[in-house]
Amino acid sequence: MSRYDTTFANLKARGEIAFVPFAVAGDPDLTTSIDIFKTYIDNGADILEIGYPFSDPVADGPVNQRAAQRAIAAGLTHATFFKMVRALRAVSDIPIGLLLYANSVHFLGYRTFCRRAADAGVDSLLVADMPPEESDELLAAIKSTGLKSVFIVSELTPPKRAAYICSKISGFVYVVSRLGATGAQSRLPTQAARTLQRLQRITARPFVVGFGLSEPRHIAAVKFAGAQGAIVGSALVAQIEKNLSSKKAMLKTLGTMTGHYKHATR
Amino acid sequence: MQAIKGFYGEFGGQFVPETLIPALDELEAAFNEFKNSEKHLLELDFYMNNYVGRPTPVYFAKNLSAKYGVNIYLKREDLLHTGAHKINNTIGQALLTRYMNKKRIIAETGAGQHGVATATAAALLNLACDIFMGTVDMARQRPNVFRMNLLGARVVPVASGSKTLKDAVNEALRDWSKTVRNTHYVFGSALGPHPFPTIVRQFQSIIGVETRRQILEQAGKLPDEIAACVGGGSNAIGIFDAFLNDKKVRLTGVEAGGLGLHTAKHAARLTPSPRARIGILHGSRSFVLQDSHGQIATTHSISAGLDYSGVGPQHSYLNQIKRVQYTLATDRQAIDAFSALCEYEGIIPALESSHAVAYALKRAPRMGQRQILIVNLSGRGDKDIFHVADYKGIAL
Ligand SMILES: Cc1ncc(COP(=O)(O)O)c(C=O)c1O
Repeated sequence: MSRYDTTFANLKARGEIAFVPFAVAGDPDLTTSIDIFKTYIDNGADILEIGYPFSDPVADGPVNQRAAQRAIAAGLTHATFFKMVRALRAVSDIPIGLLLYANSVHFLGYRTFCRRAADAGVDSLLVADMPPEESDELLAAIKSTGLKSVFIVSELTPPKRAAYICSKISGFVYVVSRLGATGAQSRLPTQAARTLQRLQRITARPFVVGFGLSEPRHIAAVKFAGAQGAIVGSALVAQIEKNLSSKKAMLKTLGTMTGHYKHATR
Repeated sequence: MQAIKGFYGEFGGQFVPETLIPALDELEAAFNEFKNSEKHLLELDFYMNNYVGRPTPVYFAKNLSAKYGVNIYLKREDLLHTGAHKINNTIGQALLTRYMNKKRIIAETGAGQHGVATATAAALLNLACDIFMGTVDMARQRPNVFRMNLLGARVVPVASGSKTLKDAVNEALRDWSKTVRNTHYVFGSALGPHPFPTIVRQFQSIIGVETRRQILEQAGKLPDEIAACVGGGSNAIGIFDAFLNDKKVRLTGVEAGGLGLHTAKHAARLTPSPRARIGILHGSRSFVLQDSHGQIATTHSISAGLDYSGVGPQHSYLNQIKRVQYTLATDRQAIDAFSALCEYEGIIPALESSHAVAYALKRAPRMGQRQILIVNLSGRGDKDIFHVADYKGIAL
């Protein structure tokens, strides 16, 4: 069984869904970044979503873009990134998903990137700007290295296309809760629930909802709508930015938030 | 040429977030109907002839030709309404927007030329219009910001990343992924995800169609060579397209050499250098300037319209199959060519176009007296006089 299978099965048995916190690797620097992800783990994260920083992140809002810029400025490279994943894998067995941009994978070559990611302990890849039509080579590399594929489905995705996308997924279905780029919002649009209902008829893969979730009640709503997991990104990353001057305060805030989010999955 | 949907050889594709895929599918279907509809093509023709100012002349530059001992002709896109070829594309895409029943257009702009041309098309066809522009560019190009405002467009400042053209594209893509239901994104060059490179080429290909007919009328034969500057590549593909099958016509694309290839301050993506590699940026796979870790590099050129890290996928392909050769002109060479065209022909060219002129002046001595070299004069230089004065150390 893959780490994802085990995680989702265990959560189901306990009547919970997965809480999936996100941060950009290397933000604000490598050591702090590792501590941030460890804080997520220690406070109840079920799965980690790690962003690989890219200079031109078209699917991200300003908060995550600034995080990527900080990480790049602090010197994150492919080599230090894989080292960081290794460090996390050494202390935890929860699934690790990557969220990244096509150029960052293409730059190393699809096979090389996937091999190094799998060796480091990564479980899945979601390339934000690579729809399944452009992913043949990547999917082959994902498969041969034992990784899992994740793709996005939105409220605009027509049913036939949703079925096609789901057929290319070996990990989970990433359901975006609204259109546009990443970024926290206080209201959770009702479209997410409808999208989930549509999808349940199409695939048996787990659904994880992301984009725009910022409050514990959003997670409760996502659970009620039938999802198996909820991703919180910008709301956490905003706290990293807000606490750049004090690492202690930063980790404390992130830990508390993670605890609250996790609580809402129960 | 396109074996797989949206690809030129190994270049192109649709590398965009999932939320944009339905919009690109809709756009492709609408464009295929539009380009086969007599009624819509007639309307496009009407605006091209009566509003934009087509056809533009092919002018025999007799003074330069005499000086350089070759026959230099200029395709006068600088005479078009709003001052550059950009309007061929924006009117076309604005009509397409109306055909799709969308009410709003957005666009990115660097120097402001494409922004002004888009705002113009929006005013003409009663569409709401938002233009994304980096704050660095807004400060450098205040007259064009004001022009866009006069035309009724809103200019949205982009303060993220390098605050220039590539960030304006990022922001326009983000807006579009949220507003696709009622908004069309008017890409300004032969760039971006499929079907944009094809759409932009189609609307710009009128340049080559006219040029071919005009040179046959005037000179009785096809040219020996055609040169055009390459930013994203729209004016170049526009004039090249009608000649791609004329294997004897040499086609040359001229990129911005900035301060020179030995520096990091240039925008030469198709001229080999360690930073120019195949990558994925803004929706397509093409040559992209990148740093040694795969982050997109910033670029430099004296001409804002050539100052971009990526290049249209068809140019990467035409380079690979060697149908077009790509070379560069530096800032200094462009400025010298700018001055030469002013003095010899009484034409103030855009700094972008001056790169193609610079190449022509380098190339001319190596051509025979009977040979014909056509330069695509993509725009006029009124917008650039302050930069040129600045470069020459003259206070205006
Ligand atoms: C006059 C002129 N020429 C050329 C360009 C470069 O664009 P492209 O390569 O798409 O023709 C620009 C872009 O702003 C321009 O204004």
